[in-house]
Amino acid sequence: MHPKQKPIKYNARVFATTIAVGLALGMTATAASAQSNESQLLSKLEQLANELEKVKAELKSMKAKQDAAPVAVALVAPVASSAPTASSDTVLSAYGELNYTRPRGDSSGTQTDLARFVIGYQHRFDTKTKVVAELEVEHAVTSADDSGEVAVEQVFVEHKLNDTFGARAGLFLIPLGLINQNHEPHTFYGVNRPAVETSIIPSTLREAGIQVFGEHDNGISWSTGITTGFDLTKWDPLNGESVESPLRTLHQEGQFARSKDLSLFAAADWRGIPGLRIGAGFTTGKAGHGTAGFLAPDARTTIADVHARWTPGAWDLSAVYARGTISGAGAFNQSFAGAPYLVPKSFDGYYAQGAYRLRLSGDYVMSPFTRIERINIGKSFDGVDPSLNATSYRTETIWTTGLNFNIAPTVVLKADYQKYKIVKDSDRINLGLGFSF
Amino acid sequence: MKKSVLFWLPAAAISAVAPAYAGQYATADEAAKRAFPEATTFKESVFQLSAEQLSAVAATTGLPAKPALWRSLTAMNGDKSLGLVVFDGVIGKYELIDYAVGIGVDGKIRNVEILAYRESHGYEVRLPAWRRQFVGKDKSDKLRVSEDIASISGATMSATHITDGVRRIVAVVDQMRVAGKL
Repeated sequence: MHPKQKPIKYNARVFATTIAVGLALGMTATAASAQSNESQLLSKLEQLANELEKVKAELKSMKAKQDAAPVAVALVAPVASSAPTASSDTVLSAYGELNYTRPRGDSSGTQTDLARFVIGYQHRFDTKTKVVAELEVEHAVTSADDSGEVAVEQVFVEHKLNDTFGARAGLFLIPLGLINQNHEPHTFYGVNRPAVETSIIPSTLREAGIQVFGEHDNGISWSTGITTGFDLTKWDPLNGESVESPLRTLHQEGQFARSKDLSLFAAADWRGIPGLRIGAGFTTGKAGHGTAGFLAPDARTTIADVHARWTPGAWDLSAVYARGTISGAGAFNQSFAGAPYLVPKSFDGYYAQGAYRLRLSGDYVMSPFTRIERINIGKSFDGVDPSLNATSYRTETIWTTGLNFNIAPTVVLKADYQKYKIVKDSDRINLGLGFSF
Repeated sequence: MKKSVLFWLPAAAISAVAPAYAGQYATADEAAKRAFPEATTFKESVFQLSAEQLSAVAATTGLPAKPALWRSLTAMNGDKSLGLVVFDGVIGKYELIDYAVGIGVDGKIRNVEILAYRESHGYEVRLPAWRRQFVGKDKSDKLRVSEDIASISGATMSATHITDGVRRIVAVVDQMRVAGKL
């Protein structure tokens, strides 16, 4: 309470009482004097009313100042340094990717796509609690006639319990691989994200749920939680997208997510040696949701990965292995009779990548890189005649070679060539522009 | 049964590590004492560079110089100055990181301490192993991420901005020394 507030309230009461007394006096006055005094009383009343209004306005302005005071303190308080570095409770962020792709075989398939444009914000409520949100537009336009998509990529509240432990709740990114949580264009090499981290780990994989996390001085960080999971009833045996990334059509992303069956995830990383990161993670859960008549009521989907990244000096070396399984879908597969796309029992892939960051003058950095990936999106199938399993998908090998050219730390021009060993028609040249802040 | 075991994992994970680790951030006083354990007193001081000195810092570091009032603690052993601890703040990816750099009279970095880190990711800049990379370096070193300071996967911005900040402080302190103000 402001020290001057009480006397003002008291004055307001005094004025009100004075008005009441004045009115009472006015009513009991003699009829003879009434007419002459009436005008005086009225003018005094008017004067009092005016003063009361002034006091009210003053009180309002003081209250406003009082309310504003703690905000000003909060803005200044976290700054331990006297150096004038700006920091706001609310920070706007964005990133975007514009890609040009020219297939080597059929140049009529050449296209340019504003693959992603994301705007987000982070707002800090206090030193322990904040909200992080990102809204994404994929492929530039979304309408009844366009194939773009508008989606909430993440929106979660984070609360730190202390310097080591915290919790998050909302729609958040599942901590798998190297890309899913760090996917801004300047953080990965090549125009397209690695196939392993789009087909096996369907980045950007996010689900709604709760998690706890810890960050320790020995370099270990971990998180674990319970989220909505996959919904196998959405599998479409006629849709090729189902098989390009088996779990991409099954994720729920917070949209009326069926929640009878939930998933558990856990992930841990170790960064005890500067420049080295080694980690692993998994998410697993049932995906039938008790659907009446569904032929895979106990189906379980799981993705697990191990990853490593080592950045000695200017080198940037990384490797990821990821494996997905969908168990218990045998009878479901048998019901597809003749349909082209069956639910795979297992699918996996790995990549190894090497890049070298050449710092030119100023902030210009040129990073030539190469990446080899081996990926199989249908290694085995449940419910299929064993003799047919021999025709399980073959393992594709993809070489991606090119360079990232940073014209600012988070603004990057990219160029690469991708070569496929089996589906040679997929060989292509990619050019890209990306930024983030 | 299997499911229930899985669902208890989070609680088990927390209880396993919870007692072992508590808060790890240094206070300003701790940062100073870690840099100069032999100091008997610390004197608070504030300093500011001239326009010429700011230009020199910008030229040496390749960074825009902060026209700031720098807050520092001068470490003393009796009447002898041992060096100073400079306090600063840089934006990591979205949020402010408060940190301190201890520099001896020989110009060499004694320590880098994180006083507060607020980002959702990238806490690794506070890991002792990462901060130890700075110890012993001085203005003759590059002090650049991906050169003589290893980056941190998943925290590139925080690592880069702290490294840039340390490089700037080393240059600022050097300017003060050249001017005979240390």
